[in-house]
Amino acid sequence: MLTFFSDTDCDITPKECAQYGIKLISMPYTVNDKVIYPYVDFEEFDSHAFYDMLRGGTIPTTSAMSEEFYTKTFEPEFAAGNDILYVHFSSGTSNTFTIMDMAVAKLKEKYPERKFYSVDTLGISALSYNIVLEAADMFKAGKSAEEIVEWAKAEVPHFPMYFFADDLKFFRRSGRVSGLAATMGGLIGIRPIIHLSDEGKMISIGKETGRAKAIARLVQYVQDLGDDVKAHRVVIGHSDCPDIAAEAERQLKAIYGDDLKVVTTVVNPTIGSHCGPNGLGICFHAIHR
Amino acid sequence: MPQKINSVLFADMLRGGAASLYKDKSVINDLNVFPIPDGDTGDNMYMTLKAGASEIAGKTGTLAEMASAASSGMLLGARGNSGVILSRIFAGLAKGLEGLNEAGAAAFASAMSSAVKEAYGAIPVPVEGTIITVLREGASAADAGGSLEHYFETLLEAMQTSLDNTPEKLAVLKEAGVVDSGGAGLLCIFRGMDQALSGKVQSEEIAEDVHAAPAIDLSKFTEDSTLEYGYCTEFLLRLTRAKTDIEHFDQKELIDWLETHGESVVSFRDGTIVKVHVHTFNPGEILNHCQNYGEFLTLKIENMALQHHQESNKGNASFKKPKQKYGIATVAAGEGLIEAFKQIGADVVIPGGQTMNPSTQDFIDAFGHINADTILVFPNNSNIRMAAQQAADLYKDADVRVLPSSSIGEGYYAIASADRDCDNADEVVAGATAIMEAVTTGMISRAIRDAEATDAAVGESVTVVKGDFVGYSGKQILCDSASRNQAAALLAEKMGASGRDVMLVFTGEDVPAQEAAELQQTLTARYPNLEIMFNNGLQPIYDYIFVLC
Repeated sequence: MLTFFSDTDCDITPKECAQYGIKLISMPYTVNDKVIYPYVDFEEFDSHAFYDMLRGGTIPTTSAMSEEFYTKTFEPEFAAGNDILYVHFSSGTSNTFTIMDMAVAKLKEKYPERKFYSVDTLGISALSYNIVLEAADMFKAGKSAEEIVEWAKAEVPHFPMYFFADDLKFFRRSGRVSGLAATMGGLIGIRPIIHLSDEGKMISIGKETGRAKAIARLVQYVQDLGDDVKAHRVVIGHSDCPDIAAEAERQLKAIYGDDLKVVTTVVNPTIGSHCGPNGLGICFHAIHR
Repeated sequence: MPQKINSVLFADMLRGGAASLYKDKSVINDLNVFPIPDGDTGDNMYMTLKAGASEIAGKTGTLAEMASAASSGMLLGARGNSGVILSRIFAGLAKGLEGLNEAGAAAFASAMSSAVKEAYGAIPVPVEGTIITVLREGASAADAGGSLEHYFETLLEAMQTSLDNTPEKLAVLKEAGVVDSGGAGLLCIFRGMDQALSGKVQSEEIAEDVHAAPAIDLSKFTEDSTLEYGYCTEFLLRLTRAKTDIEHFDQKELIDWLETHGESVVSFRDGTIVKVHVHTFNPGEILNHCQNYGEFLTLKIENMALQHHQESNKGNASFKKPKQKYGIATVAAGEGLIEAFKQIGADVVIPGGQTMNPSTQDFIDAFGHINADTILVFPNNSNIRMAAQQAADLYKDADVRVLPSSSIGEGYYAIASADRDCDNADEVVAGATAIMEAVTTGMISRAIRDAEATDAAVGESVTVVKGDFVGYSGKQILCDSASRNQAAALLAEKMGASGRDVMLVFTGEDVPAQEAAELQQTLTARYPNLEIMFNNGLQPIYDYIFVLC
């Protein structure tokens, strides 16, 4: 048997996990010294309340998981004779996977016949979500772990995500975006346009003045880089700005038609702790990232 | 009339000048080319002159010493561009009187030439048809060949002629149908000086004005307080031959020493008088050291916890903060606007703006609250720039750069985007200056008089009715309406909002929230592609400030 894991940083919810038969790893965030595990410490993610808290000036922190945590998560599967496929968020944005690899290496010594497959989505939020859904579709259709890993090897570089953030204090604090110029900031309406590189790192590649231009630029990337866009999902991720997400969807459907498969997701709180409220990202199938 | 001006008479003349200006300052304020309440030239010049008159009140010395002390006071008290120029005129006058115990017509005339030279030198690009023209033409036409009385008679006559002629030299004056306000202020001062000279006015007390500093509140430092800010220590020191070799006294060495023993050092030497301003936790140490060079002429030590600007600068950085690479000082009026400037990274916001220009001393005090290698100053108003620059030149604790922000919008965008991580201050200044070009600021304010304004760009003219709401950008009046929101909507249109991407709106203290909400609705509906952000600026004078980018 193969057990499919994903994590909350990929935006997938327990409800969807239940539909696909996926086990969900909860990636925690810390608010005022209190560690909160999404969907463990709460049932439904109240995104509006969460992002309002950020708007109010609270900035949560995140941290890597312990080796013990990964051992406890994965060992029962190996002990029960199951192999593992873990489709996870980008190793380029967190060092939690270095720790995970150590745990897995030790487990493999203990269970030499068991297999551990992993798919690094080299993304976060909407990007990871898109790939998790593609992999989950294959998993549901009975594809093997090897087939899914092969597919991912070829296809992950074809899922770019372009996004903008509103208030840069979140990114500045986390230091996870390179190339952020000082001449940007939500308070003056100048936003950086950021994308995820082939290495799964966040890089600022320009800026736009005004939200309208920022949305237009994201949509332009879909047009410029899009490849077989309609054969895949277009995932729009937002951090509590549904109106802006709806406007992006409207513009995309005006170009590609109403049958474009648009899925909208609210950026999970752990990733949201880094990008802040009022951000928008679009992930689509493309010639390259 | 006396035939010579001595130190007592000079002090009387300064007081006479200030009293004369005090009487007429509102008339001079109204000589405003702009039909909205800005540039209060009369107030600025009066407060500057008063700072000089107060500096020498009750003091004695030679004529040269009195002139020099008055000039030091004016240098620090200077407000607004006209005030700064006035302070330089008196600095030139003092230079011209150097070494003199008294001055007759010829000596005074020669000092006036020195004043002309100093004033022209103080302005990067001197504009004719202004205060400096009135000074220059007056000084060159006055007849120094006779009595003092005759000198002043011819001086005042020539100044009047020159003033009357300013509209011929400066188109904006002609258009507005006024003479230059700075020139009028100068003439008013010299009239008062003449009257004091001829004994027509007995050195009357200068009336207290509205901007007088509030009384010191002793309850701000109690038996439970700890010394958090130190003492503001100021004195005039007379270098004495008994204690020091005056010829070889090294002012720079003294400044270096002061800088290692205190903060916010401002010190300059004028002849054998050294002026020192320093913030210190141990004033005794400073006094003991300086007494090695001479004796004190005046001395003032104040616990800074009691100083009134602590109150207005509440929340600003105290000078004990760890040293930063860059510190930012700016000027704004209105609680919300001041807060907005702090949010984008201003360390100190000096309360003030168009109608309340901070003095050179206010800037120096603000710099004292910043602990940084480089201080970037954003005056946000062209009439505040010279006072800021004068403070920057005098301040020795940091490399102070005055940026050319001439509006709230320019300052706001430039501060928000100043790259504080960059090591090269020149680059930071260049970057922040460049972004100002992308920004346009517009304002809605009440018209203080009727006027006809021509829009040079489109050749349209706007009829301004007293009491109406006027919309303008830079020095260009763009619209007028009896309705505030209608004027605001028109202003947005004239400023080209439809072609812009972002619009920040700061609502003034007089605008009801409901009305601002209505304007937001109107603008949002009209400009769907414009990102409009309303902020509660609570600023006086301007009901709305628009910043378009």
